[in-house]
Amino acid sequence: MADSTNTVLSARGLSVQYANESPTLSDINMDIAAGEIVGLTGSSGSGKSTLAYALLGLTRRGAQITNGEIYFGRNDLLALSDVELEDIRGRDIALIVQNPRSALHPMYQVGRQISRVYQTHRGSGGAEAHQRAIEMLRLVGINDPERRADAFVHELSGGMAQRVLIALALSTSPKLLIADEPTSGLDVTVQAQFLDTMWETSRKTGTAMVLVTQEPGILANYCDRVIELDAGRVSKDVSASEFVSTSMLHTTQATSSGQGEGQNRAPLLKVEGLRKTFPLRGTKKVVQAVDDMSLSLFAGESVGLVGESGSGKSTVGRCLLKLLDSDAGKITFDGQDLGVVSGEALRRVRQRIQIVQQDPYDSFDPRWTIEKSLLDPLEIHQIVPPTEARAAIEEGLKRVSVDASVLGRRPKDLSAGILQRVAIARALLMKPDFLVLDEPTSMLAPQDRHIILDVLKRLRTELGLSYLLISHDLTSVASACDRVVVMYLGQVVEQGPTTEIFEKPVHPYTKALIGAHLEENPKTRRVDRTDRVDLEGEIPSPIDLPVGCYLATRCPQATEACDKERQVLSSFSSHHDVRCMRAGQLELDKAS
Amino acid sequence: MTDVAVEKDQDSLGVLAWIGIGIVSVAIFLAVFSPWLIPYDPTQATENVSTPPPPLSAWPSLFWQTIVGDGPTPHWFGTDASGLDVFSRTIEATRTDLIIALSANIVSVIIGVSLGVISGYFRNIWTETLLRTSDLLQSFPVFITAMILVALAGRSWVNIVLAMSFLYAPIYLRLTRTEVLALRDRSFIEAARALGKTEFGIARQHILPNAIGPSLIQFSVTIGFAILLTAGLSFVGAGVRPPTPEWGSMIATGATQLVLGDWWPSLFPGIAISVTVFGFAVCGHILEKRYGR
Repeated sequence: MADSTNTVLSARGLSVQYANESPTLSDINMDIAAGEIVGLTGSSGSGKSTLAYALLGLTRRGAQITNGEIYFGRNDLLALSDVELEDIRGRDIALIVQNPRSALHPMYQVGRQISRVYQTHRGSGGAEAHQRAIEMLRLVGINDPERRADAFVHELSGGMAQRVLIALALSTSPKLLIADEPTSGLDVTVQAQFLDTMWETSRKTGTAMVLVTQEPGILANYCDRVIELDAGRVSKDVSASEFVSTSMLHTTQATSSGQGEGQNRAPLLKVEGLRKTFPLRGTKKVVQAVDDMSLSLFAGESVGLVGESGSGKSTVGRCLLKLLDSDAGKITFDGQDLGVVSGEALRRVRQRIQIVQQDPYDSFDPRWTIEKSLLDPLEIHQIVPPTEARAAIEEGLKRVSVDASVLGRRPKDLSAGILQRVAIARALLMKPDFLVLDEPTSMLAPQDRHIILDVLKRLRTELGLSYLLISHDLTSVASACDRVVVMYLGQVVEQGPTTEIFEKPVHPYTKALIGAHLEENPKTRRVDRTDRVDLEGEIPSPIDLPVGCYLATRCPQATEACDKERQVLSSFSSHHDVRCMRAGQLELDKAS
Repeated sequence: MTDVAVEKDQDSLGVLAWIGIGIVSVAIFLAVFSPWLIPYDPTQATENVSTPPPPLSAWPSLFWQTIVGDGPTPHWFGTDASGLDVFSRTIEATRTDLIIALSANIVSVIIGVSLGVISGYFRNIWTETLLRTSDLLQSFPVFITAMILVALAGRSWVNIVLAMSFLYAPIYLRLTRTEVLALRDRSFIEAARALGKTEFGIARQHILPNAIGPSLIQFSVTIGFAILLTAGLSFVGAGVRPPTPEWGSMIATGATQLVLGDWWPSLFPGIAISVTVFGFAVCGHILEKRYGR
């Protein structure tokens, strides 16, 4: 039934249903051409994962494919016997699941797992299969594949495990690869590396791909075509560029700094030489979370703190509120040294500095209603008289566009996006001068993310609020911050105005980070760029840090001196600091 | 979809669960209303010494007689060697055993949970010492230690309660502390701190209510053990003083008559212990399955 020889897989009238419920998927028609990368998207609960599995003839427990045909080549997959299907799965259609570590067997070397699959489906000998495994590991960009093939999964980093999974999936040269949110939970640079590998391998081997994702950046950068599901039906089946131009909610652009640059005023918050280490249990060693961190923030200003996981950015945020005691350094808030305040004075300062945490479900007492959670802090500080408290919290919810009907509910009954807005409302009830937002959008779906950022931007203009937005999501930072501070392994490596950092990054790490940023624009696809700076290898352990520049081991422009000399943050141009002794040199090289 | 399945599972309690709930309810009922239920004074000897219980076949007619008030109330479970009515004593003993077991558990929950919250939330040298002490206590054999403590302090029910609380508190301490350790790093604790709550306020309003669940489940299980321990102590002569009706001491006094063929003074309190302990154990198990993790 495949209407052109080019089609790898086509589904006709596919429906999936859980017993006695309305169909999860109804009447899905889709075709996938050879070598094509198709993005499968839709809000959570739209049935995209169900569809991805159904294409393999699989369903979750309790569900059933009630109708339809899936043509793969000449065969209808749904008419085949289990034995015949098993032969096709893994050989001709491969699957990459969400969590790479749990998808690999913990007791077998990764190379052996790849060769086993190859042997099963291609019927080759052991030595040939082993050779193939090493070849595949090399193909997905793993250094020293001969040695890595003998590694167990616990010896690999998350990003590397993810690449092993692609190698495993591609080892049998499948015609189709289905990847179910393969990069959720990965850092941006690792995500970019992974998707690059997948994209390149697909182009090289001609494997068609179905990529299930909610991220508009991924759709815009890596997909040829996008299929959007809405409540179990195909609502869109268009080219990636058309999809982006019709349905992206917002175009990302750096905000111009709306507030007058009052550099003459004293900063609202000033951090100097902040250092924080965590002792490593049972040893004398320490994990260095933050090292020589300096930062100043003026009233009304919004600053983005970016960096990958483990860069110490959340630790900085928590030190600012004295939720963690710093080892060294000075934090001054509105002229007051936070190092010396404690007790009642500390509680008064904390009223002026508030925090919004990453996981909204975890940041509310699960036993308390929203009303109680909001009233309680008001009572503590007696910000409003008790008779006006109820009106105040309703007002506070209105400010973040949340209906007052949530007051009687408990956290688990609300969606993550709404609950996070309630968390912002709770922080704002304290009438703070300064807000620390610790990855406020990382657990949210893209739509909710946009809403949160809109709320933040609006509050800034309405209340003149200043905030520090800690995030690994550069899109959020680009749209909601005046200034950006980039952290790597506990140090600030570059800071400056948002537009300057995004358009003219200087530090090699910033360049790599910005390069890994997936813009929601198919015209500036990452895979098409030629001036990419990619880092090599893995992030060093924060326990045994390099002597010289922390990036030296991964930096493509490193010289011998970089290995030995400790780097200092120095002024590159006005309001723009860089921690790289070769910064000036690199710019000259580029110019010439 | 999964939520529906879970709810269904929770709604239907098994037969076993109903039996457990039934037993516990009956035990509580008997403990509360025993003075109005028993036909004889449980501590006053009658002239009928070592009367065997009436044969089962005679029970319906005797029952009828009792209701219409014709003739003396029969000794349903017989009498012991001193002429005490076993039926009245077995019922009355429910009260003794339940009060001791409940009080001991309430006291140990109060002590154990508060110390658990303190030792989990505020970690310093004092709470560490407390923890080691409680570990040490837990390493003693419960029965022997309880026996020694009661022997030293004197055989009153207050002392028995105190000794048992002392031994059971570490269980609740451990349980609570484990919960607190998981809770203290949760974001909402940090949020509360940022919102200006005092440490004591956080411990009381956030930590305690969220950490107490497992202890309440354990409570039901431990009551069963406590009943067994109360009876055991009395059995070896370190429990409440006779003639206070108590299952353990009834078994002990009855045991001396066993060789003469008098099985009834020991059998009925024996059955009472087993059934009650079983009932509480089942209830604890159900609670754990429904609310525990």
